[in-house]
Amino acid sequence: MIQPQTLLNVADNSGARKLMCIRILGTGNHRYAHIGDVIVAVIKEAVPNMSIERSEIIRALIVRTRQELKRDNGMIIRYDDNAAVIIDKAGKPKGTRIFGAIVRELRQFKFTKIISLAPEVL
Amino acid sequence: MRALAAVTIPSCGQLHGSVMKEAYLGPYSKSSIFSRVPSRRRHRSQSHVLLSQRRPNQSPKGGDDDDVLDDLLNSYGKVVYKRADQNPSSVEADDDSESLFFAVTLAKVANDVKAADIRVLFVKPLVYWTRFFIIATAFSHPQIDAVGTRIRDIAEKQFRKFAIGDMKPDSWTLLDFGDVVVHIFLPQERAFYNLEEFYGNATPIELSFDSPPSQN
Repeated sequence: MIQPQTLLNVADNSGARKLMCIRILGTGNHRYAHIGDVIVAVIKEAVPNMSIERSEIIRALIVRTRQELKRDNGMIIRYDDNAAVIIDKAGKPKGTRIFGAIVRELRQFKFTKIISLAPEVL
Repeated sequence: MRALAAVTIPSCGQLHGSVMKEAYLGPYSKSSIFSRVPSRRRHRSQSHVLLSQRRPNQSPKGGDDDDVLDDLLNSYGKVVYKRADQNPSSVEADDDSESLFFAVTLAKVANDVKAADIRVLFVKPLVYWTRFFIIATAFSHPQIDAVGTRIRDIAEKQFRKFAIGDMKPDSWTLLDFGDVVVHIFLPQERAFYNLEEFYGNATPIELSFDSPPSQN
């Protein structure tokens, strides 16, 4: 349940550490974003001397949420944190590697590039 | 970061009938692995089974664990739990060979359109969501478009498979055919993402045309 003002961790090696959601894209007037949604976010914390800087506005794909993800077979997946991956307008990741486990539902949302870079797919 | 997987079932009786048939729980009672979530979060008429929960009366000593395992092996054989959705090995081998033929054909098609440094990787032992990766380099956006279009046409006409993924050519264009995933890169993007290193443990497939590596 990501909404504007939510702080998220960054799950890639782009150099950003923390993001703050400022807008949810593609959901019309929906209040919350979930796994697989793209948000507009501002970088609140970044590693020094990297290509990405604080207060930059970027797009990010949500890959982990504390809110449960329910599958049709009854499985429920819940993470300990809210995390996102920085992408560009075409859906290409800004970093070269993804950290942590992500869910395979992202493939249905046509984010197979993110899946290919992830170490573990649930 | 920790993921928690849980199974929601309509009723405990159904779990007993379908899942418990193949899963042996040993000396632990059924109720010991059931964990009720707080009532305000529980859906009506549903209960949750936490799969990752540690059994309460599990001994910290390794020797006792070995004894329990030995007892299980003696009474139930080696397979304690078997997934119901797994295919027999012969079916798996047939699927692998079919996907290999498809992947090699697509690699040949990419070679016909002068894509360079084509690699076919057997990634099934590493990731479960696909079997083969094809990684190729094209040197311009029009060439990426040409490679992608030709691959898509051959897959549709000969194999009746349709790609999901990028419709517009990009510096990293991905075509997802399910069992085979095609990556077409510009040279600098290929060096940047370096997928071959990430899937370094995958088995490379020898190709008959054996294109020489690009000079870039």
